Amino acid sequence: MDFGLLTQFAINGLMLGMMYALVAVGFTLFFGVLDVIVFSHGDVVMVGGFAGLTTFYWLDAIYPGLSHGLMLLWVALASMASMALLGIVMARTMILRLRSAPPLNTLLATMMLGTVLREAVRLFYPNGSNPKPFPALLPDWSLDMGHLSLRLDNLILFSLGALLIVSIHLLITRTRLGMAIRAVAQDAETARIMGVNFNAIVFLTFALGSAAAAFAGIMNGLYYNEINFGMGLLLGAIGFSAAVIGGLGNIYGAILGGFAFAFLQTLGAVALPFASAYKDVFAFGVVILIMAWRPTGFIAEKTSERV
Amino acid sequence: MPGSIQHNASVPGAVPNPGSAAKAGPLAGIVAAVAVTAYAAAFLLSESQGLILALLVGGAVAAGLAVRVGAHRAVARSLAAHGRLGDGLAVGMVLALMVIFHDDHYALFLVATILLYVVAVLGLNVQLGFTGLINFSCASFFGIGGYTAAMLGGHTGVPPLVILACGGVTAAVVGSILLLPVLRTSGHYSALVTMAFALLFKVFMEVNDAFGGPQGVDVAPMRLFGWDFSSDVEIGSYTGSFYLPYVLLALALAVGAFVLVRRIERSWIGLSLDAVRVDEVAGACFGIDIRRWKITAFTAGNFLAGVSGALYAMMLAYISPANFTFADSLIFLSILLLGGIGSSWGVVLATAVVVVVPEKFQVIQEYRFIIYSSLVLLMILFRPMGLLPRKVRAYRRQA
Amino acid sequence: MNQERILDCTGLSMHFGGLAALSDLDLFVNRGEVLGLVGPNGSGKTTFFNVVSGIYRPTTGRVVFQGEDITGLSPQRIYHSGIVRTFQRSRLCLELTVFDNVMIGNHKRLDLGFWNNLVRRGRFLAQYEEGVERAGKLLAALNPALVARMFDPVGDLPMIDRRRIEICRALVGRPSLLFLDEPSAGMTHDETRQLMDEILNMGSYSEGLSIVLIEHEMNVIRRVTDRCVVLNFGRKLFEGSYDEVAADPVVQEAYLGKEVEEVE
Ligand SMILES: Nc1ncnc2c1ncn2[C@@H]1O[C@H](COP(=O)(O)OP(=O)(O)OP(=O)(O)O)[C@@H](O)[C@H]1O
Ligand SMILES: [Mg+2]
Repeated sequence: MDFGLLTQFAINGLMLGMMYALVAVGFTLFFGVLDVIVFSHGDVVMVGGFAGLTTFYWLDAIYPGLSHGLMLLWVALASMASMALLGIVMARTMILRLRSAPPLNTLLATMMLGTVLREAVRLFYPNGSNPKPFPALLPDWSLDMGHLSLRLDNLILFSLGALLIVSIHLLITRTRLGMAIRAVAQDAETARIMGVNFNAIVFLTFALGSAAAAFAGIMNGLYYNEINFGMGLLLGAIGFSAAVIGGLGNIYGAILGGFAFAFLQTLGAVALPFASAYKDVFAFGVVILIMAWRPTGFIAEKTSERV
Repeated sequence: MPGSIQHNASVPGAVPNPGSAAKAGPLAGIVAAVAVTAYAAAFLLSESQGLILALLVGGAVAAGLAVRVGAHRAVARSLAAHGRLGDGLAVGMVLALMVIFHDDHYALFLVATILLYVVAVLGLNVQLGFTGLINFSCASFFGIGGYTAAMLGGHTGVPPLVILACGGVTAAVVGSILLLPVLRTSGHYSALVTMAFALLFKVFMEVNDAFGGPQGVDVAPMRLFGWDFSSDVEIGSYTGSFYLPYVLLALALAVGAFVLVRRIERSWIGLSLDAVRVDEVAGACFGIDIRRWKITAFTAGNFLAGVSGALYAMMLAYISPANFTFADSLIFLSILLLGGIGSSWGVVLATAVVVVVPEKFQVIQEYRFIIYSSLVLLMILFRPMGLLPRKVRAYRRQA
Repeated sequence: MNQERILDCTGLSMHFGGLAALSDLDLFVNRGEVLGLVGPNGSGKTTFFNVVSGIYRPTTGRVVFQGEDITGLSPQRIYHSGIVRTFQRSRLCLELTVFDNVMIGNHKRLDLGFWNNLVRRGRFLAQYEEGVERAGKLLAALNPALVARMFDPVGDLPMIDRRRIEICRALVGRPSLLFLDEPSAGMTHDETRQLMDEILNMGSYSEGLSIVLIEHEMNVIRRVTDRCVVLNFGRKLFEGSYDEVAADPVVQEAYLGKEVEEVE
């Protein structure tokens, strides 16, 4: 295969990896503080995309001449803010309640919540059951070299995603708030005794993770030029896989897992050129193998059960 | 010697019979069964959406009232006092429905679907309810059974009854690929393994032309003793729907699966499975072979899913990957949760509700997923033990 | 002092990362004795149980039980060889009945074959009746009131009864060596006393049963044990009778301190 095509694959893989990492970070954050898997997270990504799209429609109607850059800024801000709010509402009304329930109940409950979100968009968003074109808000400048096209919008998207992940990481490792999050993740009871406002930290974490999901949703829209109500299910499953193969509760693990999954998909597409439809079969198959090999992910969770 | 502990201990008064109750008559149980049969028949017969809504509301109110006045306890006592009565009544109900709807294809199809789903969910109950093995790919194993039926029925001369067994065995064998990761992981990590498999299975079936691709494949109908299940039943002047024999066979499967699962529960095997679920460490310290029971439960559950999937495929005559998605696995799981995890009768009740209500209540057809998932969500939040919570184990049937 | 050693551990160490929960521990148990295992919090007592019962594989050292090297065997194998334990934090199955919990301890004697359990129900039920009788006798010896509640979920019972059930579960399989990890944790003074009497009773029922008891209450240790081993930071600090232990200045300094005075 020629070099240009390979590079193209690599670039696509990196873009996917960034998206997956953004989703996986949410899974891992929630698991860190509450020990729950919030499976509706994938659908929050989707709702985030739709929130962005709606914002665009409004802005376009009110200020038709707005520059694309400003438009994107507002779309992103509105979508991230509204998803942060949705995250807080979900945490408050459901997730906190499920804290002491068996893991399966939480998993199933959040899957059901995901279905509710998905169906709500399908049924109640105007013409929601069809894919929606997503406006190209980024400059469509590109450098074409044979099979390879280097696109500026991809570069911008990737950098913004990286920026977001790095800021989340800095927030968690370098600030007092982040310290509180880590304290809760380590031992909620002790943190509470030490005066950490547990609920506030949970809400903050859900706001953070959901905002990242919203960004992933917009990124998805800009990258594929369309969004649809069903995209959350697979994204959720992939984000979950990424968080788990990386090692739950660990941000580096989530990033690693996100790029690893994208790498697997890309590898599946490259290595099986005549059957690239098998790329997801390949990727999920490898996920199963990884679980057999490293039962708690690449970066193992640090808790061991005391007897 | 340690054994002497027993001999020196003072022998206490009579050991109580588990769940011993004052001997109750069979009447309450029979009345309840007739009432439920009549209700089910009315539900299946109704066409008008208003009537169905009225029946739904009426049923809910009646059930609420019965609980209020304690009728459910009378029924439970009556059934508990007459060991085989409950089982007999349940079978009788299905037979009664068969007579009432002997020429109604659609109603019979629903009844058979319920029975086959019951078999699959009972398998899930062994895995998850008893042993605590999370399985998000129940529908995939159901589908493996179905595809086995399609392949064997289409390309070989294997007798259809043997095909059913092959469906189960294939599901169990394919499932054993997952055994290693399932045994090594726990909690959310093992949830991922089966989830990944469910997604993988559907995509695989879609892209693989040998199995018909996204369009699916035809499945040869059941054939028993030279009797083709795809043509209407004619005995003398009596004609009945071709679904009748399917219902009968599905009933036989369901009864077999039910008896098997209940015997598992009421035995040392059930005890071991429970011990694995509740506390692996403590179980291991009392000699319980965790791996053995996990393998047993996982394999048995997949086998049941495969067998029922094979018959289901024959009945549908045509299957495609869209029948066996991750969402379908979720439906199986939610049935278990709705009925009450670990509760075999709960499985039966919840399956009936989940299969029939959206099919008959067409008004909600469009909204059924959102209504359904909201209901399950509320259930998990406010009544996590389900409709008919599992009772403590009684090894012996009360005579 | 030429007694038979039922358990003999030599050079046992258990490291968790950089932490040595046990280091180079030599410890033996004589047949039929009650050995008290004491030491401050975190001194490695529970870890010793975990290592011997197979939950952890020791970093170094050997465990010999009844002449057989059982180092690093699985908990299942060790249970079958005759060592049984209770847990510091009660690990009963709260949703299962008292009978079920006790029968889990009797696993060794249960016939787990499919044929027997699923098909020959008559034979199974005969075994079941046998189990009911056995569990009933054992429960009656600890608390006759428990017999009537044999088919209630354990979660419905008070703490002291749960502890009793744990002890029944441990004894029902007729072990040769019993590990009790703070059986009185979370109980009042009187309850502790009562439970200890019952345990002592059990010990005398079966001569030859050896018990290792972890207990913080020095009164109990004094009354119950034949011999004591004191651990500190995973090492053996002292070994001897309770009186010797209590009199030893090193032990007093490291651990006992005021408590000895309370006893006198
Ligand atoms: N699984 C584990 N992983 C890491 N460290 C452990 C583990 N189990 C025990 N430890 C550590 O080993 C040391 C000894 O613990 P252990 O539980 O044996 O103490 P103990 O003597 O039983 O104390 P206590 O009286 O509080 O029960 C402690 O510092 C404990 O934190
Ligand atoms: Mg301890």
